Amino acid sequence: MKSLLGTIYLLGMFIPEGLGYNRSLAQYRQEVVDQTASGWKSLETYSYNIYHTMEEIYWWMSQISEEYPEVVTQHFLGMTYEARPMYYLKISQSSNNPKKIIWMDCGIHAREWIAPAFCQWFVKEILQNYKDNSRISGFLRNLDFYVLPVLNIDGYIYSWTTDRLWRKSRSSHDNGTCFGSDLNRNFNVSWCSVGASRDCQDLTFCGMGPVSEPETKAVSSFVESEKDNILCFLTMHSYGQFILTPYGYTQNKSSNHEELIQVGQKAANALKAKYGTNYRVGSSADILYATSGSSRDWARDIGIPFSFTFELRDNGTFGFILPEDQVQPTCEETMEAMLSILDDVHAKYWPSSSARRVTSGTLVLSLLLSFACLS
Amino acid sequence: MQPRRQPPPAPRPRGNCPGAPLLALLLLLVLRGAAAAPAGPQDPRRPQDAGLSRGLLQQAARAALHFLNFRAGSPSALRALAAVQEGRASVNPKEGCKVDLVFSTERYNSEEGEEHLGNCSARVFFKTQKPRPAINVTCTRLLGKRKRQQEDYLLYKQMKQLKTPVDVVSIPDSHGHIDPSLKPIWDLAFLGSSYVMWEKTTQFLHYYLAQLTSVKQWKTDDDEIDFDYTVLLHEFSTQEIIPCRIHLVWYPGKPLKVKYHCQELQTPEEASGTEEG
Repeated sequence: MKSLLGTIYLLGMFIPEGLGYNRSLAQYRQEVVDQTASGWKSLETYSYNIYHTMEEIYWWMSQISEEYPEVVTQHFLGMTYEARPMYYLKISQSSNNPKKIIWMDCGIHAREWIAPAFCQWFVKEILQNYKDNSRISGFLRNLDFYVLPVLNIDGYIYSWTTDRLWRKSRSSHDNGTCFGSDLNRNFNVSWCSVGASRDCQDLTFCGMGPVSEPETKAVSSFVESEKDNILCFLTMHSYGQFILTPYGYTQNKSSNHEELIQVGQKAANALKAKYGTNYRVGSSADILYATSGSSRDWARDIGIPFSFTFELRDNGTFGFILPEDQVQPTCEETMEAMLSILDDVHAKYWPSSSARRVTSGTLVLSLLLSFACLS
Repeated sequence: MQPRRQPPPAPRPRGNCPGAPLLALLLLLVLRGAAAAPAGPQDPRRPQDAGLSRGLLQQAARAALHFLNFRAGSPSALRALAAVQEGRASVNPKEGCKVDLVFSTERYNSEEGEEHLGNCSARVFFKTQKPRPAINVTCTRLLGKRKRQQEDYLLYKQMKQLKTPVDVVSIPDSHGHIDPSLKPIWDLAFLGSSYVMWEKTTQFLHYYLAQLTSVKQWKTDDDEIDFDYTVLLHEFSTQEIIPCRIHLVWYPGKPLKVKYHCQELQTPEEASGTEEG
């Protein structure tokens, strides 16, 4: 199976435009050590503070699953329009008890480079800390993480090779005269009713029909098949600094809207505590704009209780072209928001184990100290 | 969810008991661990309306800022939005939407450790179905007048010293990097773009400067800087990228002159304008 995956991967590398890109503008990146012509030598020197090509991300995924075989497996999700393989990483600690799933996808829009950077950061944080961080090991006792670092692979590559501000996929329409669907308008939820366009020329083109795009189909089918076990659906975008709850296709609120807002606001507070970055929390229709066919709305409507869109830094100063020196602080603060959401989700479904751990530790300490004072 | 309970008073210290305050802290932690801390909603008043009008206030603040930046005509005094403090809107369906608001700003080019916030109050009138909102805005000074003049003049000198044509594909590059020697070009481009973005803003459309894609030329024959360039603007609600060709004439302390022509992707008429600040 692994050699078949390897073959598909290699084939994927050489199909259309290949994975080359213009590095002439990236001279300042020479400071990063150990980068050779053939790519990254080892995972130890892989930098999470910079933007990576799709080639590097494919390499990283296979390295991660080799480096952490006891918890990470790489899985095939489907093929893109230009016949590239889509992979997600499953982070799961083996145990006897049944697990629930946290889903995270990044890069559904090609130009939002900070999103795939965050997916890689998230995986790295979990894997580097799960053994000695009780908060994270607590999550892994009951939760599996499924992370799709780049959903719109064709678009992402296109934004590296040709058009930095490309957004959509690279499917061909109108007899090869027009390219790309907005994958986040292509899901089967109130498809193309509002905030989307039937015209391929537009950047919010909803596609030829609901789930018409292979990338949407791949994600849809998989998430649908696991929906009874998925507690949380997180989709990462930029920019704007928002945590968005359902819905975009209507101003009506989901049944658990108040709870989603509370969880979202707590996450925004945790994020802000890191570097002072302000995020706004609300439903898409309320604080952003009307959209139909979004993955977040679709996930909520098939029954996944917690469903959020993150719009990461910044606020418009650089927008999509976020300077690389902001990758690390953006990822660090966003990680705080994620951990906050995970705390809430975990505490909701496994209440006794969370409270007991916090209470017992401090209770023991306070008892010891009181004995010390009394003696 | 359990309500948060009050912690018990700290035990009285017995003689030399340095751990007593620590004990109190630990007890507090124990109790807080047992209770959930509910996160309050962002705006307790009418959540749905608050969301809608907050969006409108943001829209008005952005428009006011573009206009302010253009009118100030100073690349050193460019401002960015910090936060909307308060505001209210009144809608007349036939004529448009009037917004009064107070917001805080920070320097667009804030230096390390600099924490300066300015306050602005503005009245913004969005005409129904028409761009170019009418704006009245006043702000507290962010930068001293002398400092602004000095920095503008410094930027002006830097521009004059750069050789033309500049051998640049795009600013910033794909990784968001702007060479420090090219920063003055970016600032000046942003200043000119502010005018364009103000003119194109409506109640529903708002713009950001995404990238400077080419510099056609600049001349400094007279003392003025004559700058001809193209930018990509990002319109947020449609997510579209709009190329605009902008020509500006600038000299420190003098009003900015801007001419532009944007490619409208779908609408038959193309947008262009010309203004003297």
